[in-house]
Amino acid sequence: MGALQIKHLFGLQGVSKQDIRTILDNAKQFREILERPVKKVPSLRGMTVVNLFFENSTRTRTSFELAEKRLSADTVNFASSNSSVKKGETLVDTLRNIESMKIDIVVVRHKGTGVPKFLAEHSNAIIVNAGDGAHEHPTQALLDMLTIEEKLGTLEGKNVTIIGDIRHSRVARSNLWGMSTMGAHVTLCGPSTLVPRNTDLMNHVTWEPDVKKAVANADAIIALRLQKERMDDALLPSMREYRNTFGITEELLECAKDKVIIMHPGPINRGVELDSDIADGEHSVILDQVTNGVAVRMAVLFLLAGGRNNENA
Amino acid sequence: MKMRKPCKGRLVNVVLKNAMFWNGKSFEHQSEVRLNACETSETVEFDCNGALVMPALFGLGLDFMEPLRDDVYTFADGFEAMRKGGFYGGLYESAANPIDDADKYTAMVNRFKSEERGEEAFDIKFLGAYSKGFGTDSLAEMVELAEAGVAGFGDGNGVIPHSRFLRLAMEYGKMTGKRFFFQPMDKTLRHSGCVHEGAYSDMLGMKGIPRIAETIAAYTVLETARFLQVPVHFKQVTCGETLELVRNARKNGIDVTCDVNLYHLLLDDSCLETLDSAYHILPPIRSAADREALWQGVVDGTVNAISVNHTPVLRQDTVVNFEDSVPGALSLEVALPAIWNKLVASVGEARAIELLSTAPARLAGAESAGESVVVLAPEKTHKVLESDFAGHVCNSPLTGKELPSSILASYINGVWTELN
Repeated sequence: MGALQIKHLFGLQGVSKQDIRTILDNAKQFREILERPVKKVPSLRGMTVVNLFFENSTRTRTSFELAEKRLSADTVNFASSNSSVKKGETLVDTLRNIESMKIDIVVVRHKGTGVPKFLAEHSNAIIVNAGDGAHEHPTQALLDMLTIEEKLGTLEGKNVTIIGDIRHSRVARSNLWGMSTMGAHVTLCGPSTLVPRNTDLMNHVTWEPDVKKAVANADAIIALRLQKERMDDALLPSMREYRNTFGITEELLECAKDKVIIMHPGPINRGVELDSDIADGEHSVILDQVTNGVAVRMAVLFLLAGGRNNENA
Repeated sequence: MKMRKPCKGRLVNVVLKNAMFWNGKSFEHQSEVRLNACETSETVEFDCNGALVMPALFGLGLDFMEPLRDDVYTFADGFEAMRKGGFYGGLYESAANPIDDADKYTAMVNRFKSEERGEEAFDIKFLGAYSKGFGTDSLAEMVELAEAGVAGFGDGNGVIPHSRFLRLAMEYGKMTGKRFFFQPMDKTLRHSGCVHEGAYSDMLGMKGIPRIAETIAAYTVLETARFLQVPVHFKQVTCGETLELVRNARKNGIDVTCDVNLYHLLLDDSCLETLDSAYHILPPIRSAADREALWQGVVDGTVNAISVNHTPVLRQDTVVNFEDSVPGALSLEVALPAIWNKLVASVGEARAIELLSTAPARLAGAESAGESVVVLAPEKTHKVLESDFAGHVCNSPLTGKELPSSILASYINGVWTELN
């Protein structure tokens, strides 16, 4: 029996409150380590982690790699752009070949929903989802939760509003499951062409089309990036109209609480979903999110690898 | 990789003992029934042990995917699947090889015959293409195709063409008196969707195909059919809204028939939660409410027939994540045992046989089953194994599932096949 009930991290849908609590508590300890002069611990010494990224990624891959290195794991980066995948190798064959090199953990990002689960069914390695299509991005949601707890003390009873391209956002999906599990009230808001059309299975959160109402009671606002790469059509008339209608601006924040925190998973389209003076302003905790990303990923890797208590913290 | 198990069929006459035999109206117990479908002295005796003996089935939507990979799936495999599933015939439409002129029709018919010792072991009818190569703006030679013997004209399960070509094709094809078979799907609304657009697709972040992709295409076809007075058939209707269009069209005098895919009656989109590519079927498996609406259409007679849409998919094209998998499902081997009990409970035995055998045959212009029968034990459950399927494929959402009934044997145009 490991430190978590889950064996892999595919997403936050269905993950227990206890498991999320354990991850966040461990992440807080790793967060403290990251403030030390020597930021490395031997928790995963002797283990090998492969970062299997079939989609472009800068910050998530860097964050995972940093987390792995700070846990003393051996890391291998695999990008599909210069790999055997380009030569027609199947996903399973790619995984099995890599697995044959005796790896322990696979961190995977792919455009297809469910790829991490699929890989787990064909592998003995521990699988961590670093984003699958528009499905889930659990470590991003966990770092969002860690940041909210850090800034607001708790998630329980807090109002979290997520604004923007909900339909194409794996971050939003992971957050609406994870934050709800932890007792936060989640409100989702976005233009009608960028929100899911059928919310019957996500009716535990609030859908608010009016952005001013959506932010009015928010303790935290998460602005989502417009995922142009996942948009097949012209879903918006212009970036200008989007910014004026749903962008986080000084004017919009006048409708919100004084101490509201502003979050963004990055990279930011400045002047579209978030004005620059807000992104760099007093409400913004965006860089804290980035730091917490490393801590959360350290916790996830450590716990999935079997860690019971964070003796190195 | 499973081992190929050749069908143990041979030309014989049969004596079925202790059977519940279909007499055209109901099943009645017969201690012995002799079926002589061929001139041979060899006779097989089989104790049915009270099992049902019913007319063999006719499959709408056969596509053995030639020339897929003849080391993976062949016509012979398709025929083995038909015997295992108790099908005496089917309406064949090749998505890969459009039959768009009479020579291609003749070549296809000859290929089928050559696979079966030069005999007509199955009653296979073919759909011709209404456009050259499918999806083009060039009319196929429909008059010559009709004279050659095609059952009607189809689209290779592609999307509905643009309205001007649709009108042209139906206008020209009207001369033949043949029915047009469409799978109603609007290209732009389908876009890159691969599952039903609904609560599950949105929860999972998967691109969906909305119901209106079907209904808008169906409405376009029906309006064109009404305008031109051309008979049409809708393949694999997936939602109640399309059935409502069919009902209204019939009230307005349009000659429209439709079928529903076996799997659309058995499954709903909650199966997507598994993210198992075995459920990747097009048109997509829709919601539980849609499934109930389809059953209502079966019960009230709006649905003319239940189709099988037997589509082998290479194993390597299924052992991938859902969105990258190739859609399609095998069904011949499992159709009857999967649906029989539920169908009988809904519509009774006579209508069940009508939906699976006589009605699809009529739509394809085929003869009835005659002496060909299938022996079904309705209470004997059966767990579907990969080895149950012919060829080196097993792409069925029912693989690994337990079916409520079992096929014991079939007798198809003189070939007796016993199943374990």
